[in-house]
Amino acid sequence: MRSYFVRQALINIRKNLSVHILSLGTIVASLLILGLFLLLFGNLNNWLQRWGSALSMSIYLKDGISEYRRDKVDSFIRGLPGAEIKRFISKEEALKDLRAALGDDAGFLSRLERNPLPASYEVVFGSKGTYGVNPEKIKGELEKLDGVEEVQYSKEWLKKLEGFLDVVRLIGFIIGGLLCLCVVFIVTNTIKLTLYSRKDEIEILKLVGATDWFVKSPFLLEGMIQGTIGGILAVLTLFLGYLILPTHISLLGLAPLDFVFLPAGYLILILILGTVLGVIGSFIAIGRFFEV
Amino acid sequence: MIQLFDLSKKFGPNVALNDIRLRIRQGEFVFVTGPSGAGKTTLLRLIFGAEKPASGYILINAINLNRISRPKLDLLRRKIGFVFQDFKLLPKKTVSENVAIALEVIGLRPKFIRKKTHQTLRLVGLADKEKAYPLSLSGGEQQRVAIARAIVKDPLILLADEPTGNLDPQLTMEIMELFKSIHRKGTTVVVATHSQELLQGTDCRTIVLNHGKISEDTL
Ligand SMILES: Nc1ncnc2c1ncn2[C@@H]1O[C@H](COP(=O)(O)OP(=O)(O)OP(=O)(O)O)[C@@H](O)[C@H]1O
Ligand SMILES: [Mg+2]
Repeated sequence: MRSYFVRQALINIRKNLSVHILSLGTIVASLLILGLFLLLFGNLNNWLQRWGSALSMSIYLKDGISEYRRDKVDSFIRGLPGAEIKRFISKEEALKDLRAALGDDAGFLSRLERNPLPASYEVVFGSKGTYGVNPEKIKGELEKLDGVEEVQYSKEWLKKLEGFLDVVRLIGFIIGGLLCLCVVFIVTNTIKLTLYSRKDEIEILKLVGATDWFVKSPFLLEGMIQGTIGGILAVLTLFLGYLILPTHISLLGLAPLDFVFLPAGYLILILILGTVLGVIGSFIAIGRFFEV
Repeated sequence: MIQLFDLSKKFGPNVALNDIRLRIRQGEFVFVTGPSGAGKTTLLRLIFGAEKPASGYILINAINLNRISRPKLDLLRRKIGFVFQDFKLLPKKTVSENVAIALEVIGLRPKFIRKKTHQTLRLVGLADKEKAYPLSLSGGEQQRVAIARAIVKDPLILLADEPTGNLDPQLTMEIMELFKSIHRKGTTVVVATHSQELLQGTDCRTIVLNHGKISEDTL
């Protein structure tokens, strides 16, 4: 029984080989574009994570903060995941920095009665995988601490990055969806062609008492085989392409970026997608095709 | 048992069968005859569930065909052998594949299917044509492939539409003998034919159709 279905499906494919090769090519191309997009998105995501997480924060302290309170703030910062205190800038140092920065124009500073600059911590968030740091939340927590005057961080930059990622993701979904539709459409039409070329056989099968499933199964299998082979070829092509491409990219003088291949989960996703789309396509093609 | 109650069938304005009342018991051997266009094929197709009646109903072993579900009809057809007047063979399949289809849809084991197919083709005298394709066969040989496909599954009911139309007298006799032996094993056999030779000297029940009505029944 099962061997009958497989045999029929293979016969179908062999009898319409050119059509199948053509549609297989299109399926591979569609899944390939999809895979490339995943690859690109995955890497983009990686890189942006790294840049995005190099978040720096300035924590300004109130004037006249007690030693005790400062220790509290200090240990709180050290307790934040991924946080690293780059520098503590005392009021005096802040003034010195400013003086140095102003150079010749620094004269007015000596006329000040008291130092207006606050002491501050320069904190950098993690080189190592602290994506998902929520700067707004940390800022809120820190500002609740006694002795903290204000917290500033490079907010704009992050927002932009996240917005950009969202846009890329949205485009990915749209293109991915269209490509999936495309695959379903191709499979549907290929299977329809086989169905029409085997109309007589379907009629006769029904006349000798074949169940609908018996008649349909080879066609479902045919679509499934097509989708699965398409998926496998797409993944293989992606992998070959990846082997050819460089794994380190230096871009715009930034730190060299690792170009990584799709994680196994995504590869399996493409394979499953091929199979599922193949089945859906043939399902649609079969639809309400026969009634004898 | 096949029971027809007030059965009518129309094709547009054309009345093919009109108020047929008929009962065929399990294990009977019946000829249906009448001139061309009398409605013989239509009658067999109705019994097979391949046409829906305009009015009246058909019971096969107490199953009402008007109400039968699609899966049940599929199952019923596995027990009914049908020799189509136009054979309905698949040109791209070999003789033995054409016959084997009737068993494959039932889901029997491939080994059994091969054996049974071979046996049946021997019965109809086509053992040497197993690998041939239908279009390379003569009309009479194609007809015998159609017969083999109908009887290979040992049906409870055999509906044969003009099964000897393309056969010479010698083969006609052999095929009729074959039907008789199937009948002896308990199968209900209904043979539609307009061949007078076939009917001459037969002691079987003969139903004569004329313009869609039963004009004679030798029961
Ligand atoms: N599918 C159809 N569409 C329209 N008319 C049909 C159809 N099938 C049969 N008919 C008509 O119904 C009538 C009976 O046809 P049927 O085929 O049952 O005759 P028959 O007794 O089998 O004739 P023959 O001996 O030539 O095979 C004929 O008038 C035929 O034209
Ligand atoms: Mg006829």
